[in-house]
Amino acid sequence: MTNENTDAAPAEQAPDLSGTIWSEVDRALSGVTVRPERGVLDLIVHIPPDEVIAGLRRLKTDEALNFNYLRCLTAVDLEEDGMDVVYHLYSTDKKHNLTVKTRLDNDALHVATATTVWKAANWLERETAEMFGIRFDGHPDPRTLLMPEDMTDTFPLRKAHPLAEIEILQGEGMGYPEEGE
Amino acid sequence: MVATPESSPAVEFETQDLLLNVGPQHPSTHGVFRMVLQVDGEVVRDVIPYIGYLHRGAEKLCETMDFRQGIGFMDRTEYLAAHNAELSYVMAVEALAEIEVPERAQWIRMILCELNRLSSHFMFMGAFGIDVGVFATPFIYAWKEREQIIDLFEEISGDRMMYAYFRPGGLAWDVPVNFKQRVREVLKSVKIGIKDFDGLLTENEIFRARTQGVGVISAEEAIEWGMSGPSIRGSGVNMDVRKDEPYLFYDQIDFNVPTRTEGDVFARYACRMDEMWESVKIIEQCLEKMPDYGPIMPEKMPRMLRTPPGEVYIRTEAPRGEYGIYMVSEGGNRPYRLKVRSACLSNLQALRDMSVGQYLADAIIVLGSIDIVLSEVDR
Repeated sequence: MTNENTDAAPAEQAPDLSGTIWSEVDRALSGVTVRPERGVLDLIVHIPPDEVIAGLRRLKTDEALNFNYLRCLTAVDLEEDGMDVVYHLYSTDKKHNLTVKTRLDNDALHVATATTVWKAANWLERETAEMFGIRFDGHPDPRTLLMPEDMTDTFPLRKAHPLAEIEILQGEGMGYPEEGE
Repeated sequence: MVATPESSPAVEFETQDLLLNVGPQHPSTHGVFRMVLQVDGEVVRDVIPYIGYLHRGAEKLCETMDFRQGIGFMDRTEYLAAHNAELSYVMAVEALAEIEVPERAQWIRMILCELNRLSSHFMFMGAFGIDVGVFATPFIYAWKEREQIIDLFEEISGDRMMYAYFRPGGLAWDVPVNFKQRVREVLKSVKIGIKDFDGLLTENEIFRARTQGVGVISAEEAIEWGMSGPSIRGSGVNMDVRKDEPYLFYDQIDFNVPTRTEGDVFARYACRMDEMWESVKIIEQCLEKMPDYGPIMPEKMPRMLRTPPGEVYIRTEAPRGEYGIYMVSEGGNRPYRLKVRSACLSNLQALRDMSVGQYLADAIIVLGSIDIVLSEVDR
Protein backbone atom coordinates (compact mmCIF):
# COMPACT_ATOMS: atom_id res chain seq x y z
CA MET A 1 0.00 0.00 0.00
CA THR A 2 0.95 3.64 0.16
CA ASN A 3 4.14 4.42 1.98
CA GLU A 4 3.23 8.00 2.77
CA ASN A 5 3.98 9.18 6.23
CA THR A 6 0.84 10.25 8.07
CA ASP A 7 2.67 13.29 9.41
CA ALA A 8 3.70 14.55 5.97
CA ALA A 9 3.10 18.26 5.70
CA PRO A 10 0.10 19.12 3.46
CA ALA A 11 2.26 21.60 1.53
CA GLU A 12 4.41 18.79 0.12
CA GLN A 13 1.75 17.46 -2.20
CA ALA A 14 -0.92 20.15 -2.17
CA PRO A 15 -3.65 18.04 -3.76
CA ASP A 16 -6.27 19.77 -5.85
CA LEU A 17 -9.28 20.07 -3.53
CA SER A 18 -11.41 22.48 -5.51
CA GLY A 19 -15.07 21.57 -5.60
CA THR A 20 -14.88 19.66 -2.32
CA ILE A 21 -15.99 20.61 1.16
CA TRP A 22 -12.36 20.91 2.29
CA SER A 23 -12.58 24.58 3.31
CA GLU A 24 -15.50 23.82 5.61
CA VAL A 25 -13.80 20.73 7.04
CA ASP A 26 -10.57 22.65 7.58
CA ARG A 27 -12.44 25.32 9.51
CA ALA A 28 -14.33 22.80 11.65
CA LEU A 29 -11.15 20.85 12.41
CA SER A 30 -8.94 23.80 13.33
CA GLY A 31 -6.48 22.66 15.99
CA VAL A 32 -6.61 19.03 14.85
CA THR A 33 -3.80 17.59 12.73
CA VAL A 34 -5.43 16.95 9.36
CA ARG A 35 -4.09 15.91 5.99
CA PRO A 36 -6.57 16.04 3.09
CA GLU A 37 -6.57 13.83 0.02
CA ARG A 38 -8.86 13.73 -2.97
CA GLY A 39 -10.72 10.43 -3.23
CA VAL A 40 -12.51 9.01 -6.26
CA LEU A 41 -15.90 10.22 -4.99
CA ASP A 42 -15.43 11.80 -1.59
CA LEU A 43 -12.89 13.92 0.21
CA ILE A 44 -10.57 11.88 2.45
CA VAL A 45 -8.98 13.35 5.57
CA HIS A 46 -6.26 11.67 7.63
CA ILE A 47 -6.27 12.35 11.37
CA PRO A 48 -3.85 10.81 13.90
CA PRO A 49 -5.46 8.22 16.22
CA ASP A 50 -5.24 10.26 19.43
CA GLU A 51 -7.18 13.15 17.88
CA VAL A 52 -9.62 11.28 15.67
CA ILE A 53 -12.58 11.04 18.06
CA ALA A 54 -12.36 14.72 18.94
CA GLY A 55 -12.25 15.45 15.22
CA LEU A 56 -15.25 13.23 14.47
CA ARG A 57 -17.25 14.84 17.25
CA ARG A 58 -16.52 18.28 15.85
CA LEU A 59 -17.53 17.15 12.36
CA LYS A 60 -20.80 15.92 13.77
CA THR A 61 -21.65 18.95 15.87
CA ASP A 62 -20.48 21.58 13.39
CA GLU A 63 -23.61 23.25 12.05
CA ALA A 64 -22.42 23.79 8.51
CA LEU A 65 -21.15 20.23 8.12
CA ASN A 66 -23.54 18.29 10.38
CA PHE A 67 -22.19 14.78 9.75
CA ASN A 68 -24.94 13.11 11.73
CA TYR A 69 -24.84 9.74 9.98
CA LEU A 70 -22.12 7.10 10.14
CA ARG A 71 -22.35 5.12 6.92
CA CYS A 72 -19.63 2.63 7.52
CA LEU A 73 -16.72 1.90 9.82
CA THR A 74 -14.03 -0.58 8.95
CA ALA A 75 -10.30 -1.18 8.89
CA VAL A 76 -7.66 -2.00 6.30
CA ASP A 77 -4.64 -4.13 7.16
CA LEU A 78 -1.56 -2.58 5.59
CA GLU A 79 0.78 -5.26 6.96
CA GLU A 80 4.07 -3.62 8.03
CA ASP A 81 2.60 -0.10 7.70
CA GLY A 82 0.03 -0.74 10.40
CA MET A 83 -3.72 -0.54 10.03
CA ASP A 84 -6.10 2.12 8.84
CA VAL A 85 -9.42 2.63 10.59
CA VAL A 86 -11.83 4.15 8.09
CA TYR A 87 -14.98 6.12 8.92
CA HIS A 88 -17.46 6.99 6.18
CA LEU A 89 -19.58 9.94 7.22
CA TYR A 90 -22.70 11.40 5.69
CA SER A 91 -25.00 14.27 6.46
CA THR A 92 -28.69 13.47 6.02
CA ASP A 93 -29.68 17.11 5.53
CA LYS A 94 -26.62 18.62 3.85
CA LYS A 95 -26.22 15.49 1.68
CA HIS A 96 -22.43 15.49 1.60
CA ASN A 97 -19.87 12.79 2.35
CA LEU A 98 -16.51 12.58 4.03
CA THR A 99 -14.07 9.76 4.61
CA VAL A 100 -11.94 9.96 7.75
CA LYS A 101 -8.92 7.69 8.09
CA THR A 102 -6.58 7.13 10.97
CA ARG A 103 -3.37 5.13 10.83
CA LEU A 104 -2.59 2.80 13.76
CA ASP A 105 0.87 1.39 14.42
CA ASN A 106 1.19 -2.37 14.61
CA ASP A 107 2.40 -2.16 18.22
CA ALA A 108 -0.45 0.14 19.28
CA LEU A 109 -3.58 -1.27 17.68
CA HIS A 110 -6.15 0.67 19.64
CA VAL A 111 -8.22 3.80 19.20
CA ALA A 112 -10.96 5.39 21.27
CA THR A 113 -14.47 4.23 20.50
CA ALA A 114 -16.73 6.21 18.17
CA THR A 115 -19.88 4.95 19.93
CA THR A 116 -19.74 8.14 21.98
CA VAL A 117 -20.29 10.06 18.74
CA TRP A 118 -22.72 7.80 16.84
CA LYS A 119 -24.54 4.77 18.27
CA ALA A 120 -24.21 3.19 14.83
CA ALA A 121 -20.54 2.55 15.53
CA ASN A 122 -21.42 -0.11 18.11
CA TRP A 123 -21.72 -3.25 15.98
CA LEU A 124 -19.38 -1.97 13.30
CA GLU A 125 -16.61 -1.57 15.88
CA ARG A 126 -17.32 -4.98 17.37
CA GLU A 127 -16.94 -6.49 13.92
CA THR A 128 -13.76 -4.53 13.17
CA ALA A 129 -12.31 -5.50 16.55
CA GLU A 130 -12.82 -9.24 16.11
CA MET A 131 -11.74 -9.26 12.47
CA PHE A 132 -8.58 -7.16 12.82
CA GLY A 133 -7.68 -7.30 16.51
CA ILE A 134 -8.06 -3.56 16.97
CA ARG A 135 -9.13 -2.53 20.46
CA PHE A 136 -11.73 0.21 20.68
CA ASP A 137 -11.11 1.80 24.07
CA GLY A 138 -14.25 2.47 26.05
CA HIS A 139 -16.55 0.37 23.88
CA PRO A 140 -19.74 -0.31 25.85
CA ASP A 141 -20.16 -3.89 24.65
CA PRO A 142 -16.83 -5.44 23.61
CA ARG A 143 -18.10 -8.92 22.75
CA THR A 144 -17.56 -10.67 19.43
CA LEU A 145 -20.23 -10.07 16.82
CA LEU A 146 -19.97 -12.56 13.97
CA MET A 147 -17.30 -14.89 15.32
CA PRO A 148 -17.81 -17.47 18.10
CA GLU A 149 -17.66 -15.99 21.60
CA ASP A 150 -14.38 -17.67 22.48
CA MET A 151 -12.59 -16.81 19.24
CA THR A 152 -10.66 -13.83 20.50
CA ASP A 153 -7.11 -14.80 19.55
CA THR A 154 -7.27 -15.08 15.75
CA PHE A 155 -8.19 -12.27 13.43
CA PRO A 156 -9.53 -13.56 10.11
CA LEU A 157 -9.34 -10.41 8.03
CA ARG A 158 -5.68 -9.74 8.73
CA LYS A 159 -3.50 -10.32 5.72
CA ALA A 160 -1.36 -12.74 7.71
CA HIS A 161 -4.33 -14.99 8.38
CA PRO A 162 -4.37 -17.77 5.77
CA LEU A 163 -7.44 -18.49 3.72
CA ALA A 164 -6.86 -22.16 4.31
CA GLU A 165 -7.84 -24.16 1.31
CA ILE A 166 -6.95 -21.81 -1.50
CA GLU A 167 -3.57 -20.91 -0.05
CA ILE A 168 -2.66 -24.51 0.55
CA LEU A 169 -3.59 -25.26 -3.07
CA GLN A 170 -1.52 -22.32 -4.24
CA GLY A 171 1.44 -23.78 -2.40
CA GLU A 172 0.99 -26.92 -4.48
CA GLY A 173 0.68 -24.89 -7.68
CA MET A 174 -3.01 -25.64 -8.07
CA GLY A 175 -4.62 -22.39 -6.94
CA TYR A 176 -5.64 -19.34 -8.86
CA PRO A 177 -2.96 -17.87 -11.14
CA GLU A 178 -0.72 -15.39 -9.38
CA GLU A 179 -0.36 -11.87 -10.68
CA GLY A 180 1.52 -11.65 -13.98
CA GLU A 181 1.14 -15.27 -14.97
CA MET B 1 -49.91 -0.40 22.28
CA VAL B 2 -47.05 0.13 24.65
CA ALA B 3 -47.40 -1.44 28.06
CA THR B 4 -45.46 0.39 30.72
CA PRO B 5 -45.29 -0.26 34.44
CA GLU B 6 -47.24 2.98 34.93
CA SER B 7 -50.16 1.86 32.78
CA SER B 8 -50.47 -1.58 34.33
CA PRO B 9 -52.43 -2.04 37.58
CA ALA B 10 -50.57 -1.69 40.84
CA VAL B 11 -48.15 -4.56 41.22
CA GLU B 12 -48.55 -6.29 44.51
CA PHE B 13 -46.37 -9.31 44.06
CA GLU B 14 -42.85 -9.53 42.94
CA THR B 15 -42.40 -10.99 39.48
CA GLN B 16 -39.32 -12.57 38.10
CA ASP B 17 -38.07 -11.79 34.61
CA LEU B 18 -37.82 -14.72 32.27
CA LEU B 19 -35.11 -15.19 29.67
CA LEU B 20 -36.62 -16.49 26.48
CA ASN B 21 -34.49 -17.76 23.64
CA VAL B 22 -35.80 -17.23 20.10
CA GLY B 23 -33.92 -18.83 17.23
CA PRO B 24 -31.54 -19.39 15.57
CA GLN B 25 -33.75 -21.96 13.84
CA HIS B 26 -37.13 -20.34 14.20
CA PRO B 27 -39.50 -19.48 11.34
CA SER B 28 -40.17 -15.95 12.55
CA THR B 29 -36.51 -14.95 12.61
CA HIS B 30 -36.27 -15.03 8.80
CA GLY B 31 -33.21 -17.22 8.73
CA VAL B 32 -30.63 -17.93 11.37
CA PHE B 33 -31.03 -15.05 13.75
CA ARG B 34 -31.08 -15.57 17.49
CA MET B 35 -32.30 -13.21 20.14
CA VAL B 36 -32.57 -13.63 23.85
CA LEU B 37 -35.59 -11.78 25.16
CA GLN B 38 -35.92 -10.80 28.78
CA VAL B 39 -39.65 -10.81 29.40
CA ASP B 40 -41.71 -9.68 32.32
CA GLY B 41 -44.95 -11.52 31.72
CA GLU B 42 -45.79 -10.55 28.17
CA VAL B 43 -43.70 -7.40 28.10
CA VAL B 44 -40.22 -7.33 26.62
CA ARG B 45 -37.68 -5.71 28.94
CA ASP B 46 -34.48 -6.37 27.03
CA VAL B 47 -33.33 -7.87 23.75
CA ILE B 48 -29.90 -9.36 23.14
CA PRO B 49 -29.41 -10.21 19.45
CA TYR B 50 -26.88 -12.82 18.36
CA ILE B 51 -25.78 -12.93 14.74
CA GLY B 52 -23.01 -14.57 12.76
CA TYR B 53 -24.55 -17.99 12.09
CA LEU B 54 -24.35 -17.37 8.35
CA HIS B 55 -20.92 -15.75 8.27
CA ARG B 56 -18.99 -17.10 5.29
CA GLY B 57 -16.21 -14.57 5.09
CA ALA B 58 -17.22 -13.19 1.70
CA GLU B 59 -14.95 -10.18 2.21
CA LYS B 60 -11.86 -12.28 2.79
CA LEU B 61 -12.74 -14.58 -0.10
CA CYS B 62 -13.12 -11.66 -2.49
CA GLU B 63 -9.63 -10.46 -1.59
CA THR B 64 -8.25 -13.66 -3.08
CA MET B 65 -10.18 -13.57 -6.34
CA ASP B 66 -10.01 -11.32 -9.33
CA PHE B 67 -12.61 -8.64 -9.86
CA ARG B 68 -14.94 -10.72 -12.00
CA GLN B 69 -14.88 -13.74 -9.72
CA GLY B 70 -16.07 -11.63 -6.81
CA ILE B 71 -19.44 -10.93 -8.46
CA GLY B 72 -20.82 -14.32 -7.51
CA PHE B 73 -20.08 -13.70 -3.86
CA MET B 74 -22.03 -10.46 -3.88
CA ASP B 75 -25.10 -12.39 -5.03
CA ARG B 76 -24.76 -14.61 -2.03
CA THR B 77 -24.53 -11.76 0.43
CA GLU B 78 -27.92 -10.42 -0.61
CA TYR B 79 -29.81 -13.25 -2.22
CA LEU B 80 -33.22 -11.56 -2.34
CA ALA B 81 -31.91 -8.60 -4.32
CA ALA B 82 -28.83 -9.98 -6.00
CA HIS B 83 -28.93 -7.52 -8.90
CA ASN B 84 -28.70 -4.59 -6.49
CA ALA B 85 -25.81 -6.19 -4.65
CA GLU B 86 -23.91 -6.87 -7.87
CA LEU B 87 -24.53 -3.32 -8.99
CA SER B 88 -22.64 -1.80 -6.04
CA TYR B 89 -19.74 -4.15 -6.60
CA VAL B 90 -19.35 -3.61 -10.34
CA MET B 91 -19.79 0.14 -9.89
CA ALA B 92 -16.91 0.11 -7.40
CA VAL B 93 -14.68 -1.69 -9.90
CA GLU B 94 -15.75 0.69 -12.67
CA ALA B 95 -15.06 3.74 -10.49
CA LEU B 96 -11.55 2.49 -9.68
CA ALA B 97 -10.69 1.34 -13.20
CA GLU B 98 -12.42 4.36 -14.79
CA ILE B 99 -14.54 2.28 -17.13
CA GLU B 100 -17.32 3.99 -19.05
CA VAL B 101 -20.48 1.89 -19.17
CA PRO B 102 -22.53 2.04 -22.41
CA GLU B 103 -25.88 3.76 -22.14
CA ARG B 104 -28.00 0.74 -23.04
CA ALA B 105 -26.35 -1.40 -20.38
CA GLN B 106 -27.12 1.25 -17.77
CA TRP B 107 -30.83 1.30 -18.68
CA ILE B 108 -31.00 -2.49 -18.52
CA ARG B 109 -29.28 -2.41 -15.13
CA MET B 110 -31.81 0.08 -13.86
CA ILE B 111 -34.78 -1.98 -15.04
CA LEU B 112 -33.39 -5.15 -13.50
CA CYS B 113 -32.57 -3.46 -10.20
CA GLU B 114 -36.05 -2.01 -9.90
CA LEU B 115 -37.63 -5.34 -10.82
CA ASN B 116 -35.48 -6.90 -8.14
CA ARG B 117 -36.73 -4.31 -5.67
CA LEU B 118 -40.28 -5.32 -6.56
CA SER B 119 -39.57 -9.02 -6.11
CA SER B 120 -37.81 -8.37 -2.82
CA HIS B 121 -40.67 -6.25 -1.51
CA PHE B 122 -43.17 -8.93 -2.55
CA MET B 123 -41.15 -11.36 -0.51
CA PHE B 124 -41.34 -8.94 2.42
CA MET B 125 -45.09 -8.54 2.07
CA GLY B 126 -45.63 -12.28 2.10
CA ALA B 127 -43.30 -13.03 4.98
CA PHE B 128 -44.54 -10.05 6.97
CA GLY B 129 -48.09 -11.27 6.54
CA ILE B 130 -47.11 -14.51 8.24
CA ASP B 131 -45.33 -12.61 11.04
CA VAL B 132 -48.47 -10.63 11.71
CA GLY B 133 -50.62 -13.73 11.71
CA VAL B 134 -52.29 -13.78 8.30
CA PHE B 135 -51.10 -17.22 7.52
CA ALA B 136 -50.41 -18.31 3.94
CA THR B 137 -52.84 -16.14 1.94
CA PRO B 138 -50.58 -13.11 1.40
CA PHE B 139 -47.59 -15.38 1.10
CA ILE B 140 -49.09 -17.27 -1.81
CA TYR B 141 -50.27 -14.03 -3.44
CA ALA B 142 -46.77 -12.61 -3.09
CA TRP B 143 -45.20 -15.75 -4.41
CA LYS B 144 -47.35 -15.63 -7.52
CA GLU B 145 -46.10 -12.16 -8.47
CA ARG B 146 -42.54 -12.79 -7.41
CA GLU B 147 -42.48 -15.92 -9.52
CA GLN B 148 -43.21 -13.88 -12.67
CA ILE B 149 -40.28 -11.58 -11.98
CA ILE B 150 -37.97 -14.45 -11.12
CA ASP B 151 -39.00 -16.23 -14.33
CA LEU B 152 -38.04 -13.13 -16.28
CA PHE B 153 -34.66 -13.03 -14.53
CA GLU B 154 -34.16 -16.67 -15.38
CA GLU B 155 -34.83 -15.97 -19.05
CA ILE B 156 -32.25 -13.21 -18.99
CA SER B 157 -29.47 -14.54 -16.80
CA GLY B 158 -30.14 -18.26 -16.61
CA ASP B 159 -30.50 -18.28 -12.86
CA ARG B 160 -33.36 -17.62 -10.51
CA MET B 161 -31.52 -16.13 -7.56
CA MET B 162 -27.75 -15.84 -8.06
CA TYR B 163 -27.69 -14.00 -11.36
CA ALA B 164 -24.04 -12.93 -11.75
CA TYR B 165 -25.28 -10.97 -14.76
CA PHE B 166 -23.65 -7.59 -14.24
CA ARG B 167 -19.99 -7.32 -15.18
CA PRO B 168 -17.52 -4.51 -14.71
CA GLY B 169 -18.16 -2.47 -17.85
CA GLY B 170 -21.68 -3.63 -18.57
CA LEU B 171 -23.52 -6.91 -18.76
CA ALA B 172 -22.51 -10.52 -19.29
CA TRP B 173 -24.57 -10.82 -22.47
CA ASP B 174 -27.42 -9.02 -24.15
CA VAL B 175 -31.02 -9.38 -23.04
CA PRO B 176 -33.41 -11.47 -25.18
CA VAL B 177 -35.02 -9.68 -28.15
CA ASN B 178 -38.45 -9.68 -26.53
CA PHE B 179 -37.10 -8.09 -23.33
CA LYS B 180 -39.25 -4.96 -23.38
CA GLN B 181 -42.38 -6.89 -24.20
CA ARG B 182 -41.73 -9.37 -21.41
CA VAL B 183 -41.05 -6.62 -18.86
CA ARG B 184 -44.35 -4.97 -19.82
CA GLU B 185 -46.17 -8.26 -19.39
CA VAL B 186 -44.65 -8.75 -15.96
CA LEU B 187 -45.45 -5.17 -14.96
CA LYS B 188 -49.08 -5.63 -15.94
CA SER B 189 -49.37 -8.57 -13.61
CA VAL B 190 -47.33 -6.89 -10.87
CA LYS B 191 -49.63 -3.88 -10.84
CA ILE B 192 -52.63 -6.14 -10.21
CA GLY B 193 -50.61 -7.87 -7.50
CA ILE B 194 -49.79 -4.64 -5.68
CA LYS B 195 -53.46 -3.61 -5.81
CA ASP B 196 -54.43 -6.99 -4.36
CA PHE B 197 -52.02 -6.46 -1.51
CA ASP B 198 -53.34 -3.02 -0.81
CA GLY B 199 -56.77 -4.51 -0.38
CA LEU B 200 -55.58 -7.54 1.50
CA LEU B 201 -53.30 -5.92 4.07
CA THR B 202 -53.11 -2.11 3.94
CA GLU B 203 -56.83 -1.54 4.25
CA ASN B 204 -57.32 -4.41 6.65
CA GLU B 205 -58.63 -3.23 10.01
CA ILE B 206 -57.03 -6.06 11.98
CA PHE B 207 -53.69 -5.59 10.25
CA ARG B 208 -53.71 -1.89 11.10
CA ALA B 209 -54.65 -2.49 14.70
CA ARG B 210 -51.79 -4.94 14.95
CA THR B 211 -49.12 -2.74 13.38
CA GLN B 212 -49.95 0.89 14.10
CA GLY B 213 -48.15 2.43 17.05
CA VAL B 214 -45.91 -0.61 17.49
CA GLY B 215 -42.12 -0.50 17.44
CA VAL B 216 -41.80 3.26 17.14
CA ILE B 217 -38.41 4.81 16.49
CA SER B 218 -37.86 8.53 16.14
CA ALA B 219 -36.07 10.15 13.22
CA GLU B 220 -33.13 11.23 15.42
CA GLU B 221 -32.66 7.75 16.83
CA ALA B 222 -32.94 6.17 13.39
CA ILE B 223 -30.19 8.46 12.07
CA GLU B 224 -28.07 7.86 15.15
CA TRP B 225 -28.29 4.08 14.64
CA GLY B 226 -27.42 4.39 10.96
CA MET B 227 -30.65 2.92 9.66
CA SER B 228 -31.42 3.26 5.97
CA GLY B 229 -33.90 2.35 3.30
CA PRO B 230 -37.64 2.07 3.98
CA SER B 231 -36.87 1.51 7.67
CA ILE B 232 -35.55 5.06 8.10
CA ARG B 233 -38.01 6.60 5.67
CA GLY B 234 -40.82 5.26 7.84
CA SER B 235 -39.51 7.57 10.55
CA GLY B 236 -39.74 10.63 8.34
CA VAL B 237 -36.14 10.92 7.17
CA ASN B 238 -36.10 11.63 3.47
CA MET B 239 -32.99 9.72 2.55
CA ASP B 240 -32.61 7.75 -0.65
CA VAL B 241 -29.31 7.35 -2.48
CA ARG B 242 -31.16 7.28 -5.81
CA LYS B 243 -32.40 10.83 -5.20
CA ASP B 244 -29.57 12.29 -3.09
CA GLU B 245 -26.59 11.06 -5.09
CA PRO B 246 -28.05 9.77 -8.36
CA TYR B 247 -26.21 6.92 -10.00
CA LEU B 248 -27.08 5.18 -13.30
CA PHE B 249 -29.75 7.43 -14.88
CA TYR B 250 -31.91 8.06 -11.83
CA ASP B 251 -31.47 11.80 -12.36
CA GLN B 252 -33.35 11.54 -15.67
CA ILE B 253 -36.31 9.77 -14.14
CA ASP B 254 -39.30 11.32 -12.43
CA PHE B 255 -40.08 9.51 -9.20
CA ASN B 256 -40.89 10.25 -5.56
CA VAL B 257 -39.37 8.98 -2.35
CA PRO B 258 -42.28 7.89 -0.14
CA THR B 259 -41.82 8.79 3.51
CA ARG B 260 -43.97 8.48 6.60
CA THR B 261 -43.63 10.29 9.88
CA GLU B 262 -45.08 7.78 12.35
CA GLY B 263 -41.94 5.60 12.61
CA ASP B 264 -43.92 2.52 13.56
CA VAL B 265 -44.20 -0.92 11.98
CA PHE B 266 -47.09 0.16 9.78
CA ALA B 267 -45.14 3.16 8.47
CA ARG B 268 -42.24 0.96 7.41
CA TYR B 269 -44.68 -1.39 5.72
CA ALA B 270 -46.50 1.48 3.99
CA CYS B 271 -43.22 2.96 2.73
CA ARG B 272 -42.41 -0.31 1.02
CA MET B 273 -45.88 -0.51 -0.46
CA ASP B 274 -45.61 3.03 -1.88
CA GLU B 275 -42.11 2.30 -3.09
CA MET B 276 -43.42 -0.54 -5.22
CA TRP B 277 -45.61 1.89 -7.16
CA GLU B 278 -42.60 4.16 -7.62
CA SER B 279 -40.55 1.24 -8.92
CA VAL B 280 -43.26 0.48 -11.46
CA LYS B 281 -43.17 4.13 -12.51
CA ILE B 282 -39.37 4.04 -12.86
CA ILE B 283 -39.41 0.86 -14.96
CA GLU B 284 -42.07 2.26 -17.28
CA GLN B 285 -39.99 5.39 -17.88
CA CYS B 286 -36.84 3.30 -18.41
CA LEU B 287 -38.61 1.21 -21.04
CA GLU B 288 -39.50 4.40 -22.91
CA LYS B 289 -35.97 5.75 -22.78
CA MET B 290 -33.97 2.58 -23.30
CA PRO B 291 -32.55 2.22 -26.83
CA ASP B 292 -33.45 -1.02 -28.61
CA TYR B 293 -30.01 -1.62 -29.99
CA GLY B 294 -26.55 -0.74 -28.90
CA PRO B 295 -23.48 -2.10 -27.19
CA ILE B 296 -23.72 -3.52 -23.69
CA MET B 297 -19.97 -3.57 -23.03
CA PRO B 298 -17.24 -1.04 -23.82
CA GLU B 299 -15.34 -1.93 -26.98
CA LYS B 300 -12.03 -2.57 -25.32
CA MET B 301 -12.21 -4.57 -22.15
CA PRO B 302 -8.99 -6.23 -20.98
CA ARG B 303 -9.15 -9.95 -20.37
CA MET B 304 -7.43 -9.53 -17.03
CA LEU B 305 -8.95 -6.49 -15.38
CA ARG B 306 -6.56 -4.35 -13.35
CA THR B 307 -7.27 -1.11 -11.55
CA PRO B 308 -4.91 1.67 -10.55
CA PRO B 309 -4.27 1.95 -6.79
CA GLY B 310 -7.00 3.76 -4.95
CA GLU B 311 -10.06 3.38 -2.82
CA VAL B 312 -13.73 4.09 -3.26
CA TYR B 313 -16.89 3.78 -1.22
CA ILE B 314 -19.84 3.11 -3.54
CA ARG B 315 -23.36 3.19 -2.16
CA THR B 316 -26.57 2.25 -3.91
CA GLU B 317 -30.13 2.00 -2.74
CA ALA B 318 -30.97 -1.67 -2.37
CA PRO B 319 -34.48 -2.75 -1.28
CA ARG B 320 -33.40 -2.97 2.37
CA GLY B 321 -31.41 0.23 2.41
CA GLU B 322 -27.98 1.44 1.56
CA TYR B 323 -25.79 -1.34 0.21
CA GLY B 324 -22.25 -0.01 0.21
CA ILE B 325 -19.02 -1.41 -1.13
CA TYR B 326 -15.75 -0.06 0.21
CA MET B 327 -13.05 -1.28 -2.14
CA VAL B 328 -9.32 -0.67 -1.79
CA SER B 329 -7.08 -1.60 -4.67
CA GLU B 330 -3.32 -1.58 -4.68
CA GLY B 331 -3.08 -1.91 -8.42
CA GLY B 332 -3.57 -5.62 -8.91
CA ASN B 333 -6.26 -7.76 -10.46
CA ARG B 334 -8.08 -8.25 -7.16
CA PRO B 335 -9.32 -6.01 -4.36
CA TYR B 336 -6.80 -5.45 -1.57
CA ARG B 337 -9.66 -4.96 0.84
CA LEU B 338 -13.37 -5.28 0.28
CA LYS B 339 -15.94 -4.26 2.84
CA VAL B 340 -19.63 -4.80 2.37
CA ARG B 341 -21.70 -2.21 4.18
CA SER B 342 -24.83 -4.10 5.01
CA ALA B 343 -28.04 -2.15 5.38
CA CYS B 344 -29.60 -4.89 7.50
CA LEU B 345 -26.75 -4.94 10.01
CA SER B 346 -27.23 -1.27 10.78
CA ASN B 347 -31.01 -1.57 10.81
CA LEU B 348 -30.82 -4.53 13.14
CA GLN B 349 -28.81 -2.53 15.68
CA ALA B 350 -31.91 -0.47 16.39
CA LEU B 351 -33.97 -3.60 17.15
CA ARG B 352 -33.46 -3.28 20.88
CA ASP B 353 -34.67 0.32 20.94
CA MET B 354 -37.73 -0.62 18.92
CA SER B 355 -38.76 -3.73 20.87
CA VAL B 356 -38.20 -2.84 24.51
CA GLY B 357 -41.53 -2.11 26.18
CA GLN B 358 -43.52 -3.96 23.53
CA TYR B 359 -45.43 -7.19 23.92
CA LEU B 360 -43.65 -10.41 23.08
CA ALA B 361 -45.78 -11.01 19.98
CA ASP B 362 -45.01 -7.50 18.78
CA ALA B 363 -41.27 -8.05 19.06
CA ILE B 364 -41.67 -10.56 16.23
CA ILE B 365 -43.38 -8.09 13.91
CA VAL B 366 -40.84 -5.40 14.78
CA LEU B 367 -38.14 -7.76 13.60
CA GLY B 368 -40.21 -8.57 10.52
CA SER B 369 -40.73 -4.89 9.73
CA ILE B 370 -37.02 -4.20 9.21
CA ASP B 371 -37.00 -6.96 6.58
CA ILE B 372 -33.74 -8.63 7.47
CA VAL B 373 -31.83 -10.95 5.20
CA LEU B 374 -29.41 -12.79 7.43
CA SER B 375 -26.96 -13.55 4.69
CA GLU B 376 -26.52 -9.82 4.23
CA VAL B 377 -26.15 -9.23 7.96
CA ASP B 378 -23.49 -11.90 8.39
CA ARG B 379 -21.85 -11.87 4.96
